[in-house]
Amino acid sequence: MHPTTLMYTSSLLLMFAVLLYPLLVTFTSLPLNNDWASSHAKTAVKSAFLISLAPLSLFLSTGMEAVTSSWTWMVTTTLDITLSFKFDHYSIIFIPIALYVTWSILEFATWYMHSDPLMNRFFKYLLTFLVAMLILVSANNLFQLFIGWEGVGIMSFLLIGWWHGRADANTAALQAVLYNRVGDIGLILGMAWLATNVNSWDIQQMFILSKDLDMTLPLLGLILAATGKSAQFGLHPWLPAAMEGPTPVSALLHSSTMVVAGIFLLIRMSPLMENNQTALTLCLCLGALTTMFTATCALTQNDIKKIVAFSTSSQLGLMMVTIGLNQPQLAFLHICTHAFFKAMLFLCSGSVIHSLNDEQDIRKMGGLHHLAPFTSSCLTVGSLALTGTPFLAGFFSKDAIIEALNTSHVNAWALTLTLIATSFTAIYSLRVIFFVTMDTPRFLPLSPINENNPAVINPLKRLAWGSIFGGLLVMLNINLFKTPVLTMPAELKLAALAVSILGLLTALELATLTSKQFKVTPLRTPHHFSTSLGFVPAIIHRQIPQLSLLLGQKIASQMVDQTWLEKTGPKAIANATTPLASATSNMQQGLIKTYLTLFLMTLVLVTLISAT
Amino acid sequence: MTPTHFTISSAFLLGMMGLAFHRTHLLSALLCLEAMMLALFIALSLWSLQLDATGCSTAPMLMLAFSACEASAGLALLVATARTHGTGHMQALNLLQC
Repeated sequence: MHPTTLMYTSSLLLMFAVLLYPLLVTFTSLPLNNDWASSHAKTAVKSAFLISLAPLSLFLSTGMEAVTSSWTWMVTTTLDITLSFKFDHYSIIFIPIALYVTWSILEFATWYMHSDPLMNRFFKYLLTFLVAMLILVSANNLFQLFIGWEGVGIMSFLLIGWWHGRADANTAALQAVLYNRVGDIGLILGMAWLATNVNSWDIQQMFILSKDLDMTLPLLGLILAATGKSAQFGLHPWLPAAMEGPTPVSALLHSSTMVVAGIFLLIRMSPLMENNQTALTLCLCLGALTTMFTATCALTQNDIKKIVAFSTSSQLGLMMVTIGLNQPQLAFLHICTHAFFKAMLFLCSGSVIHSLNDEQDIRKMGGLHHLAPFTSSCLTVGSLALTGTPFLAGFFSKDAIIEALNTSHVNAWALTLTLIATSFTAIYSLRVIFFVTMDTPRFLPLSPINENNPAVINPLKRLAWGSIFGGLLVMLNINLFKTPVLTMPAELKLAALAVSILGLLTALELATLTSKQFKVTPLRTPHHFSTSLGFVPAIIHRQIPQLSLLLGQKIASQMVDQTWLEKTGPKAIANATTPLASATSNMQQGLIKTYLTLFLMTLVLVTLISAT
Repeated sequence: MTPTHFTISSAFLLGMMGLAFHRTHLLSALLCLEAMMLALFIALSLWSLQLDATGCSTAPMLMLAFSACEASAGLALLVATARTHGTGHMQALNLLQC
């Protein structure tokens, strides 16, 4: 084996071993010491991150990619499945970033979940999730990817419902599972089509053999899978509801790693999509709709975690738009930079929430930039990175995407929606910063505001460095596969910046209106649309089940019981015969003796007459 | 007519007269109905014996089955009469007639 391939494979194997070792304590019955979470789980992830830097540096210096196939799992007549790992540009860059973010989140979680009696179990769940995500990202065949896919789905369920005594948490976990399942149908459809038509689930063989085939059906299946896992419009309600889980879960799963799995799948399968205009247009329009819709919903939310969740959903829509532009690498870049600042935004929210004694409503926060300066600074840095402030992390990916959007032969409606959503990003980010850090405090005086714990400061610091320099570092060290368009009119070049500044100015104006009355009777309809999340949960979660249950009741009680059994069936006979019987008996007079005597005499007469 | 023929016919006729000319009890009418049935049963049984016609050997059994149904219907009516009119007397049935 070539030494580079050996290095890649042994690093991954060592990473898995290091991450799975803390989970082995489940099988021993030794009692864990108090800081097992900090000393074993977090250290394991930190070590895994340091190990993953070795393949990264080798890849950056040689540019070599590798595929390793080892143990044969299944051999059938037509389909072979082996354990195979793909070390390409995408997985080698994503794994260190995911491990870096996870390390910070686990360190934060040692502080956040400190008072939870089941903290060790929480860390085990997070480690299991991380292993499943690594399997998904390094998979070279769809079977292995599916194992990782299902693994992250089930860990998401367990972690969202962590506080399972709360009914809302259970419904949120159930929503996550159901919506992901609908997406899984698409993935299985794609896998089945590929198994029967190109004879393989290996990525290399699929790409070669599908050159001349019409790939619309499996691509639609894969897009459905991405819609479910990455919360695109139609299967999106689970992501805001998933905020019922603890903040470390929201930071890890529902911002950086799990929800990008759907987009990652489409990025891996992008050579299949290159020539299929239907799939590309579908991705484009679906992504544009998602990003616009969720940005609209984020404008009027009052829960800090929900705002960040909708922001995640909006950025996922932007990634889908990028895939629809046939630029998978830009989508991947956005995944990497987005992981840094979104995880940091969630950790800042977690720090603020715990500081204000578990208060999540932004209307009850305020003035925190005097009281928790470090957290407020990180919140500001994260929001600036999110809106694409020049030369922070988000700028390199987001500006590249908007430039590609402006210079491509693209659907004008998708373009408009994406630009409007970009300006909305600035608006809701400013709203968060204004309500949380600025103005005067609106919380109770005796709040345990404390950000002095190094378990809070260090993760935020690390992610802040990542949010500032991450984009630059990644951009400097990769080669772009597709040549970007570098010459365009000045208006197009500055479009992203212009709409963001426009949004910022609008938001500043709106912020000054919080203490004045602008109109006597405000226009409530758009506000209702945004606050009730576009009426989607109200319709799909309430109206449709109510109609189904009503229909069931109508069929069971009215159709079967009342109509078939009473009006037209057995009781109808009884109801029809009773009037006839009473009419007949009213006609008879009851003179039985007379009747019988007459009968006998008539009989005798007839006998005598016929005898003669 | 043969003595057998005369006996059976007169038994049937006597039963019918009892059914027609009963005086007080509905139960006695039902008893005469049973007597008519009995006469018919004996007639059917002797038919196949006298004429050596084995084909109609099952007729008496069928006759018996249907007469059991009829007897039970009659008794049900008797019970219903006793419930609604209080007695089993015939005159109770048209007591309230003008």
